[in-house]
Amino acid sequence: MQRDHDDIMWGAILALLGLGVAAYAAACYDMGSLRRMGPGFFPVMLGIVLAVLGAAIAVPAWWRKGVARPLYWREALGVTASLMLFSVLMGTAGIVVATVVTTLVASSVAPRGGTLWRVVLAVVVAALTWLIFIAGLSMSIPVWPWS
Amino acid sequence: MTTLEGLAHGLLVALQPSILIYSLLGAVLGTLVGVLPGIGAMAAITLLLPITYHISSEAALVMLAGVYYGAQYGGAVASILLRLPGTPQSAVTTLDGYPMAQQGRAGVALFTSMVSSFAGAMLGILILVVLSGWLAGMATSFGAADYAAMMVMGLVAASTIGNSRPVKSLAMVVVGLIAGCIGTDVNSGVQRLTFGQTQLLDGINLVALAMGLFGVAEVIANIQGADRHGPPSRVSLRQLIPTRDDVRRMVGPILRGTGLGGLFGALPGTGSTISSFLAYGLERRIARKPERFGNGAIEGVAAPESANNSASITAFVPTLTLGIPGDPIMALMLGALVIHGIQPGPTLLTSHPDMFWGLVVSFGIGNLFLLVLNLPLIGIWVSILRIPFRWLYPAIIVFICLGVYSVRGSTFDIFMVGGIGITGYALTRAAFSPALLLLGFVLGPLIETNLRRAMLVSRGDAMIFLERPVACAFVVATVLLLIWPVVKRIIPKR
Repeated sequence: MQRDHDDIMWGAILALLGLGVAAYAAACYDMGSLRRMGPGFFPVMLGIVLAVLGAAIAVPAWWRKGVARPLYWREALGVTASLMLFSVLMGTAGIVVATVVTTLVASSVAPRGGTLWRVVLAVVVAALTWLIFIAGLSMSIPVWPWS
Repeated sequence: MTTLEGLAHGLLVALQPSILIYSLLGAVLGTLVGVLPGIGAMAAITLLLPITYHISSEAALVMLAGVYYGAQYGGAVASILLRLPGTPQSAVTTLDGYPMAQQGRAGVALFTSMVSSFAGAMLGILILVVLSGWLAGMATSFGAADYAAMMVMGLVAASTIGNSRPVKSLAMVVVGLIAGCIGTDVNSGVQRLTFGQTQLLDGINLVALAMGLFGVAEVIANIQGADRHGPPSRVSLRQLIPTRDDVRRMVGPILRGTGLGGLFGALPGTGSTISSFLAYGLERRIARKPERFGNGAIEGVAAPESANNSASITAFVPTLTLGIPGDPIMALMLGALVIHGIQPGPTLLTSHPDMFWGLVVSFGIGNLFLLVLNLPLIGIWVSILRIPFRWLYPAIIVFICLGVYSVRGSTFDIFMVGGIGITGYALTRAAFSPALLLLGFVLGPLIETNLRRAMLVSRGDAMIFLERPVACAFVVATVLLLIWPVVKRIIPKR
């Protein structure tokens, strides 16, 4: 029996998200009346609609064949990790270190092997970043770990 | 102000050196990202959004608009030479553009796409001026109920028209609407769905959301795929010149494509992508020899390229005169205006004539730039196609980080971009449209405000949506749009 696992999973996630939002908003915020809607009215309504739509996505997918799609989990993790590293390093180690680390981590998931081009790229991007954002736009961000 | 006075006034605004420079900058950057497969106009506008905080509202919008229509010109280059659409709007152009390139007529195909784009834009400007004057006059009588009904219809139209899975699209819109609720409620001051995070008091940052959904998600999806193509064919200037027969064949499709694109661009929910598909379909239907299409018919390049450019101009009609963006790119434009404290609406034409007419004239100037620059520079654009994506995307990521940070100096926002990005990638992979999420996010607060206002006016009587003729028409249209996909499935195919 073939099933569309993607749609079942996402339909379920969206339905639960909808129910969660509706329940949370109903419990914590004032619904108000139709005439004077409170802050809870709109989120509760939307949560219920999302729950229905999520069910409408998941249920028919049970009897349907899914589409096989490639999952680039290495790329997704590499890119996300590089962003989060930048956010942590920028304030503490300065923009140059942050840029070099981010570029190296991000390019580590590229389809081509080799170290030299990655190092060259990291240096070039760091230089460009310094030129544009520090020298050009004079943004006030620490440049070096000791500054 | 009459139209002629307006255009003269706009010319004065648009010819200021600072505006001219941003117009040129936008057009060139737009072409650049349009040429590169893997980065669309959406990502480019998002990347430039932080800059708009630091320049005047006119310059900001002129630049972003330049990126939008510049990307249409550039998108066609990759479509024709590599059969890889640089932007979704130019996807149809691959059908006949690539065969033309294989027959050694790449130059003519590029020339056709650029001239068609230019003609489409110029006629689109005329449609924009006429329609917005008319619509602004009409919209002054619109009430809160009319606006709410119209925005809901726009969202439903965007999720149902031309989508194979309307339920998934609607779900994305609703997720966007919920995301729009996050932050302080304007009416009551209650902090909604922030879970105690003070960073979320002003809501999710539009730039962070757009960068995550488009910048990061597109980078992840393209790391492996973007470089898998052969080298593009070389194009010299002499190859650009079309034959007399080519020119004769171009005129009709350009005019029909422009008309179609101009009309559908102005409707909320249908954008330039859909109109380029429709224009191509129309040409094939009325052609004497439809079998020529798909084998390098010049009409198949002229029609969609004029349609998508015309639509990208008239898409500004509902955005500027009603404050309702018809597609996600317009949602970002609206966001850029709101950043500058300008709330577009029927009074924009009278309250910000510099803005409106300057933008209109800059469309003309920007498109002229593109025509004049792109024809001689075509060799440069072609060689840009040779840059491997693996050299570009790490730099894009760093620029995303600094762009988001520059908006309000928050490293938390960079963190958010990472989280939103991986979610956006997962959604795209499961065939959900993050673009509709963004549209819902921008329209959500507007819908809620107007809904609450309408119910207050009507003393809690929901019948107001059926009693007001304008609102009623939009409600009926919304219901029809929701029923249509169901009906289509039940009626057996002939």
